[in-house]
Amino acid sequence: MKTTITAILLIVFSMSCKEEYMPPNGALEKPLLVVEANLDPSNTTSITLSRTTNLNDPTVIRTENNAVVTVEDKNNTVFSLTNRGNGLYTGNLNLVINNEYRLRIKNGGKEYLSDWVKTIFNPPLDSISWKEEEDGVHIYVNTNDPTHTTKYFRWDYNETWEIRTRYFSEYIYINGGLRRRNLPAEDVSVCWKFSPSTGIFLANSERLQTGIISQSPIVFIPRGDEKLLVRYSIIAKQYALEENAYNFFEIMKKNTEDIGSFFGPLPSELRGNIHCLTDPGEPVIGFVTSSAATQKRIFIHESEVSNWRTFYQCEEIFVPNNRDSINYFAGVGWIPVYYSMPIDKYFFTSPYCADCKSRGGINIKPTYW
Amino acid sequence: MNKIRTYLIFSFLFTTIVLQAQDNERISDTFANVSLEEFFSRLEKKVPYKFYYNAKELKTLYLSLEVKDLTITQTLQEAFKATDLHFAIDKQTKNIYITRKFLIETELPAGYFKKNDSLQKSLLTDSIAGFDVESKTVSKGIAGKLYEIGKKTNQVIRNAVLTGYVRNSKTGEPLVNASVFTDNQQGTVTDQYGHYSLTLPGGNQTLNIQHIGMKDTKMQLVVYSDGKLDIDVNEQVQTLKEVVVSTSKINNIKNVQMGMERLAIANIKNIPSVFGEADVLRVITSLPGVKTVGEASTGFNVRGGSADQNLILFNDATIYNPSHFFGLFSAFNPEVIKDIELYKSSIPANYGGRLSSVLDITSREGNKKKLSGSAGIGVVTSRVHLEGPIVKDKTSFIFGARTTYANWLLNLLPTAYEDSKASFQDIDFSISHQIDSNNFLYFSGYYSRDKFSLEGDTAYGYSNRNLNIKWRHNFTNKFRGILMVGFDEYLYDVSSSVNKVNAFKLGFDIAQLNIKANFDYYINTQHALNFGVSAIRYRLHPGFVDPYSNESVVRPDDVETEQALESGLYFTHRYSPSPKLSFSTGIRYSMFNYLGPQQVSQYEPGKPVTDANRTGTIYYDKGESIQNYHGPEIRFSTRYAFTPTFSIKAGLNTMRQYVHLLSNTTIIAPTDIWKLSDPNIKPQLGEQVSLGFYKNLKSNTIETSVEVYYKRIKDFLDYKPGASLFLNHNIETEVINTKGKAYGIEFLVKKPVGKLNGWISYTYSRILLRAYDSTQGVTVNRGNYYPANYDKPHDVTLTGNFRVNHRFSVSLNTTYSTGRPITLPIASYYYAGSQRVLYSDRNAYRIPDYFRMDISMNIEGNHKLTHITHNSWTIGAYNLLGRKNPYSVYFISEGGVVKGYKVSIFGSVIPFINFNIRF
Repeated sequence: MKTTITAILLIVFSMSCKEEYMPPNGALEKPLLVVEANLDPSNTTSITLSRTTNLNDPTVIRTENNAVVTVEDKNNTVFSLTNRGNGLYTGNLNLVINNEYRLRIKNGGKEYLSDWVKTIFNPPLDSISWKEEEDGVHIYVNTNDPTHTTKYFRWDYNETWEIRTRYFSEYIYINGGLRRRNLPAEDVSVCWKFSPSTGIFLANSERLQTGIISQSPIVFIPRGDEKLLVRYSIIAKQYALEENAYNFFEIMKKNTEDIGSFFGPLPSELRGNIHCLTDPGEPVIGFVTSSAATQKRIFIHESEVSNWRTFYQCEEIFVPNNRDSINYFAGVGWIPVYYSMPIDKYFFTSPYCADCKSRGGINIKPTYW
Repeated sequence: MNKIRTYLIFSFLFTTIVLQAQDNERISDTFANVSLEEFFSRLEKKVPYKFYYNAKELKTLYLSLEVKDLTITQTLQEAFKATDLHFAIDKQTKNIYITRKFLIETELPAGYFKKNDSLQKSLLTDSIAGFDVESKTVSKGIAGKLYEIGKKTNQVIRNAVLTGYVRNSKTGEPLVNASVFTDNQQGTVTDQYGHYSLTLPGGNQTLNIQHIGMKDTKMQLVVYSDGKLDIDVNEQVQTLKEVVVSTSKINNIKNVQMGMERLAIANIKNIPSVFGEADVLRVITSLPGVKTVGEASTGFNVRGGSADQNLILFNDATIYNPSHFFGLFSAFNPEVIKDIELYKSSIPANYGGRLSSVLDITSREGNKKKLSGSAGIGVVTSRVHLEGPIVKDKTSFIFGARTTYANWLLNLLPTAYEDSKASFQDIDFSISHQIDSNNFLYFSGYYSRDKFSLEGDTAYGYSNRNLNIKWRHNFTNKFRGILMVGFDEYLYDVSSSVNKVNAFKLGFDIAQLNIKANFDYYINTQHALNFGVSAIRYRLHPGFVDPYSNESVVRPDDVETEQALESGLYFTHRYSPSPKLSFSTGIRYSMFNYLGPQQVSQYEPGKPVTDANRTGTIYYDKGESIQNYHGPEIRFSTRYAFTPTFSIKAGLNTMRQYVHLLSNTTIIAPTDIWKLSDPNIKPQLGEQVSLGFYKNLKSNTIETSVEVYYKRIKDFLDYKPGASLFLNHNIETEVINTKGKAYGIEFLVKKPVGKLNGWISYTYSRILLRAYDSTQGVTVNRGNYYPANYDKPHDVTLTGNFRVNHRFSVSLNTTYSTGRPITLPIASYYYAGSQRVLYSDRNAYRIPDYFRMDISMNIEGNHKLTHITHNSWTIGAYNLLGRKNPYSVYFISEGGVVKGYKVSIFGSVIPFINFNIRF
């Protein structure tokens, strides 16, 4: 529906003109503090602090590196978090379920304090399930709170997948010459790639009779995608939320994941639960939650899916066994694969087909593989 | 001194005697097929008179006559008896004036210097043709004669009521809003049927009739008792001289109705518009207090009201979507329109159902005397119209049709859209029939259709269909009633067959069956009543989607049909204790019943209406009344005229609206849907107080006015962020109730007549909303007031038309307004693994200001009245300065960086040329 309207209006707008537009100056004079915090009673708590950037600024994240972050409870006990650099602050907090805690951040002369947040019970992530359909593989999370007290959930995940190159490169071009690779350290035919989640995934059982949340979608792998060509793994982490935290994430999701339409979206304000004590008018982006994260991992092997293939061309060339030729081809990036004695030539191919590191992978097997 | 006086009297008497004698001279002659010129010159030889006549006018007439022993008077009577020629003999100067159609009075009427009560004795019998003194039959009048009103008795009465119709003598069509008044300022205006009712003192009166485009007419009356007088007025032939303006132009001073603008089609045609088509909706946006969000919006905003708060009527049929092609053209054929009335503040009690304004468009009844029509060819659209009598002077019809062939325009677009097609048509057809002098029947039908197809695949269309029939009955000449029954429908449909698996068709429609009975009772000059009852039965399909064919896997969905009954009872009393002061007190009681069959969701009271808080649904049977909203609406206005050129008006209006347009886009997208009030969605309420000052200058050639208003709106619907409105089975979970306040001041200086005419207006206005209810769970801008999407504080418009000569006129239209508000992204941040954009407070910023100038020139082909066809050309340019007025601003992520763009609809000059033929 929306695409139809967009298209119709694009017609009208195509007859017209489009010019670059600079929002009025000083749109946001002072960068705002952005806080991602889940106070975890069972695992290491990791809090990320960063600042907002200008729209035209190419820096993706501007981390907040010099803050002092503490967690306090109603008995005035203070837990300190360690500054790990890059905006990351960690600690192992001994929190008690159903007690309330709040986060205090002191930074650059300003002090921020969150509302009291109750540590709520997070049931185990029941399972990750998946279904293969004509368009690809859909992955879901399932969870269940039999007591039906925790009704709001958020998930994030980390994907890992193995890639293999078409050719096994036996030689490596190093120090101006070719030599055989030292295996397994220099093997570049098998790599693993990683990708953390980039979206906000939510579900609730408020409207349901029981606390069972079934098949909440989190990932979609289109048919032929390299993730399922060899072996794929996903670990999903579940967080329990209270209703106001859930609403916060829902608004953030609607405001930012629906971008691309010029219909004048009506974004709502993000009402987080953190306030600036020094300057009460300064908004803070973020919502402090507290629950013990639970997680699960699954693996999917390519044999479990049918008809999963992709096509790509590999450029191949036989390079004469002389220094100049080898230097030339290796210099521009071709990867040596094997040596053919009868013709005294090295078989080279394009990086994509022999060097999995060129495809963004790491050739060290993860511990859980 | 005495000597001179005696001499003068003597010579005067002598001349008179001589003339009298000469009058007795007899003529005998034979005239065989002679031209009038020859006829007059031969007569001049026989009698000492000189003939004066318009040679051009009479060139084509020939006479055959045999005269034996007749006086000059008798000769001329005989000669002209079968023609429409008149002669007037001026005995003093020995001149005979020959005129066509109307007579020149060479003497003052008898009894002019005598007192009233002796009039009965000295009556001119020869100047009242075909008039029966015994009965009160209707007298058809041509200005220049003396007319008796009522039954002649020995008593002289104080006051009598005169009623009748004012018509265009050439076409027989009634003249609306014609001023009918006596020399001492007692007057009235004709209603939409050309009917007037006026109380006059008894005795000698002069009646003046004035109407734009028609000759100012004076009639001499003798009023005996209540009577009827129908007046046929001649059209004003274009002259270069300034029209002599007299007291009728004080309508803006005298009219109790404030905040009401009336535009005749002549004004509408003067204003240049896109593609040269006279556009009703664009014209009203040049009036103070009326704005639009942009060029491609289908709605307009009146005094801070949203687009759905305007009731748009075409011959009393409700039009839901008044424009074509995304707001670029209005849906009304200018050839068929008679005039438009826009009520902005004092909305009379006979209208109801919308909060902000009523736009009442009426079509003409059609030429009652002969068949005529016109055709126009333009760059993008063409139109044709035909009108004429079915039964001469009793039944007439008018038919108009328009179509577009914009496909060539679309072919200019990038290749991706090459296969796109756009078209629209509209047809209007009305018949008016006079059953007898007290009963009239009117039938009106309207059909419009828009179709748009993208790349040959996705097709989108919408359509308005309206039909109504009215019966007007005059119980007495003071009391009449109108009964109307009608059907209105608006629907749209979208279908896509590009991807067989996902092919779908979806649609929406709203239909209403209306019945209305309206009565007008004119008691006397001081009191008049208007009352009636109306009812609308709604049937609304909020949306359905179906698979396009068997191959599609689209799941059919159908949101349940809604039904309701909206009814109103109204009563207005117009009271004028003196000509300076008048009051209009109206009350309307409206009621809305939401009817079954329907499944209604129930929510936990006191908590936000969300899916999470739904407790269940209740099923109601067919016809069961599920929810009832009702309340009174006050429509009060008053006017005090300090002097004939200065008056003050004040008004208080409350309104209730039961249907809502759901749109969470800034522009009114054509796929917006309407919703009826139900147990979870309350009606909107509005209250407005207004005050206005009106002053006419330079003998009423310049009208100036200042109006201030303050409005409060309650339960105006706004939307939760990311609200999904279409095919939503529980729309109540996506809306929030806001309250609004609007205020403004409007200045207008208007020069309605003359070679240079037009107006300039400046409006300062604000409309602010507030989502105030904390139980709604969602607030906007922390519950503070924020500007509505169509809040444009400053607005200046200049519309001017200069008539250079008979054939050539130039029009200029300029408008400047503040940019509309917008919510901008102001920063970006990283959260949950992704870069995201942070938005400012809603509507905290504005897009750049809007400024546009258009020009058009109208060139008439010829002005000969005797030609069969008249043609004219219109050439002009829209957006003369080629300014890229931003329509919207949007942000997209390009290469990881968020970039802003402003889009304008017409980014360059758009020239146009139109050719029109009229016959």
